[in-house]
Amino acid sequence: MEYLEKLHDAVLNGDPTKAISITEQALAEKIDPHILINDHMIPAMDEVGARFERFEYFIPQLLMSAKAMKGAMGLIRPLLVGDGVENEAICAVTGTVKGDVHDIGKNLLGALLEGGGFRLVDLGTNVSPEKFIDAVKENDAKLVCMSALLTTTMPGMKTTIDAFKDAGMRDDVIILVGGAPVTQHFSDEIGADGYRDNASAGVVLAKKLLNQNN
Amino acid sequence: MKNKSRITLLPLNQSFEVEEGSQLHDVLFTYGVEFPCGGHARCRGCRIRINEGTLPITAPQKQILSDKEIEEGWRLACQGEVQADLVIELDQWKSDILSDDSSFQFIPMDGLGIAIDLGTTTLAAQLIDRTTGEVLAIETAINPQARFGGDIMTRIDAATRLKRQNEMQRMIRVQLYGMITELFESSKRSKSDLKRIIIVGNAVMHNIFCGLDVTPMGFHPFEPISNNLEIFSPKDLEWDLDGNVSIEFLPGVGSFIGSDILVGAWVQSMSESDEVRVLVDLGTNGEIMVGNREKILTASTAAGPAFEGAGISMGMRAATGAISTVTLKNGEIVPKILGAKSPRGICGSGLVDAVSAYLDMGLIKADGRFLDGESIMVMDPVMITQKDIRELQLAKGAIATGIRLLLHELGSSEDDVEEVYLSGAFGNYISKRSSRRIGLLNFPQKRITTAGNTALLGAKKALFNEQKINHFYSLRKITEHLDLSMHPDFTEVFAELVNFPQK
Repeated sequence: MEYLEKLHDAVLNGDPTKAISITEQALAEKIDPHILINDHMIPAMDEVGARFERFEYFIPQLLMSAKAMKGAMGLIRPLLVGDGVENEAICAVTGTVKGDVHDIGKNLLGALLEGGGFRLVDLGTNVSPEKFIDAVKENDAKLVCMSALLTTTMPGMKTTIDAFKDAGMRDDVIILVGGAPVTQHFSDEIGADGYRDNASAGVVLAKKLLNQNN
Repeated sequence: MKNKSRITLLPLNQSFEVEEGSQLHDVLFTYGVEFPCGGHARCRGCRIRINEGTLPITAPQKQILSDKEIEEGWRLACQGEVQADLVIELDQWKSDILSDDSSFQFIPMDGLGIAIDLGTTTLAAQLIDRTTGEVLAIETAINPQARFGGDIMTRIDAATRLKRQNEMQRMIRVQLYGMITELFESSKRSKSDLKRIIIVGNAVMHNIFCGLDVTPMGFHPFEPISNNLEIFSPKDLEWDLDGNVSIEFLPGVGSFIGSDILVGAWVQSMSESDEVRVLVDLGTNGEIMVGNREKILTASTAAGPAFEGAGISMGMRAATGAISTVTLKNGEIVPKILGAKSPRGICGSGLVDAVSAYLDMGLIKADGRFLDGESIMVMDPVMITQKDIRELQLAKGAIATGIRLLLHELGSSEDDVEEVYLSGAFGNYISKRSSRRIGLLNFPQKRITTAGNTALLGAKKALFNEQKINHFYSLRKITEHLDLSMHPDFTEVFAELVNFPQK
């Protein structure tokens, strides 16, 4: 199965066409889709994240790698429905808080979460606390990642965390915060579970905290 | 009586006494130190190094400063309380403020006028003889509201959440009146000859000065309550001037787009041109206008910090010791340092030049990666890191994307553009060649013009006759603001334009 190594490379190098054609070939040869995901694509996305953190990769490279993985997953996902794996994946909810519409950083995080094996529910931008809560309920999510890019909209993160407390759901989820004006100090102050200054480190932290919880 | 401590500021070597227990933030602000995040320990903008004495470290600083920095004596000035004599090295200088000395056409009128550019960071005022058009005196200052934060969002946050809007309004009105008084003192002219004052500024500056609640501008869709022409009498502002003097704050359009950029487009006659023109104002925020006599589109982008040296590992203001330009001669890098022999940092124009030169040499690739290694030494000890390149890519990518999308919405493209005007504090110092080379402005160099402080020039022009000001209002009428972050192609275009052009 030497050509499967090329799936890893296609994701790492951000080549959607190649990623899709290799996946097609592998599925035609009845190779277990889980092998494609766990042994090839997830390690590739981990490497993408590590390179991004070292500033070797940048936004265009990350977006292309995510696109490659998404293309391959588009072929694989229908085969996974019903085998329970799709439901086993931990659900992560992402969104930019109310009043804010900036989303590039949040989208990068979303791409890396999916690449890291999470089931992603992205609520987009301008998301109210109620929408976060409803999404967690509906999807049985274990992780909430909030973004704010403006000093004026950051308090929306606290409002959302408080809403989770009021709903009696605060202990059910790990809540991470991010965005240019956010700091670890702010994260502690508002009672979030963590903060990282880049998408890749955010995914590593999410996995660590979720493991501790289990 | 409280004990006093002596503080010495390097490299200015200013020395003064303060009461023990004073907040360093308050003390240093009066000496021109800026606090970009408003003194909340959210950025590194007010970094100081303790050369003598001690300043206890506080918890929030540990999040911002590395262990090594703390050990070396670096602190955040916004977090300290004076408890002993201190010798402090400042990591920033008071910036040079851009005034305007360009000539312009006018029909002579009676009396004196004052033009004021009310910027987020800086203030510039000129006293004009309306019979000759001569500039009689110039005053510049740092906006006193800057102690509440460097950018407009932290300013809005201070106004609303911290309830400081009234205080900020009082501050700016007092400061401007002080500058007006200085203009008359230095020019030896009589206040009784003053007829008119024109003020321009972005929507946040307008609303705070005029006393309009800025709360709605903190949240999407970021629209002010109003950004119309506001006319005051001296009595309204508690300014001791002749009762007939008219003080006018010119109107803007949507969102943050204010009269400062609008008058800039007016002085470049954008609404009288058949061909498409582009105006880019690079200051604390980046603002863009594109269009011609039929339609003008405008947007603001978050682009300033990297161009001002913020977020760059060895970035600094264009002050003594900064590498300000870099040229390539016979394959060798030739840096120029402001007022010193050896460099201590690099300012925005130097960074753009350096990256441009390394692109030409092939040491930086089009995707922004170094050909080899993690950093490049420009001139010992000033180096550029991979992260610095990424910061610059984000800033220039935001502006280039703004221009591309506005042109696209206009049904036009870069090829159709007749002339590109680069204005504002940073726009004035950046090399045209380098701004093209790094893909900040994707236009042939010969079509790029450095336009200076067009806001102040526009305010000055508005002091003159009533007829020409009609052109300003008709320009405003055909100008429309677009929210680029909501544009469906934003991410895709941005991902293309954060890269550097191949050549």
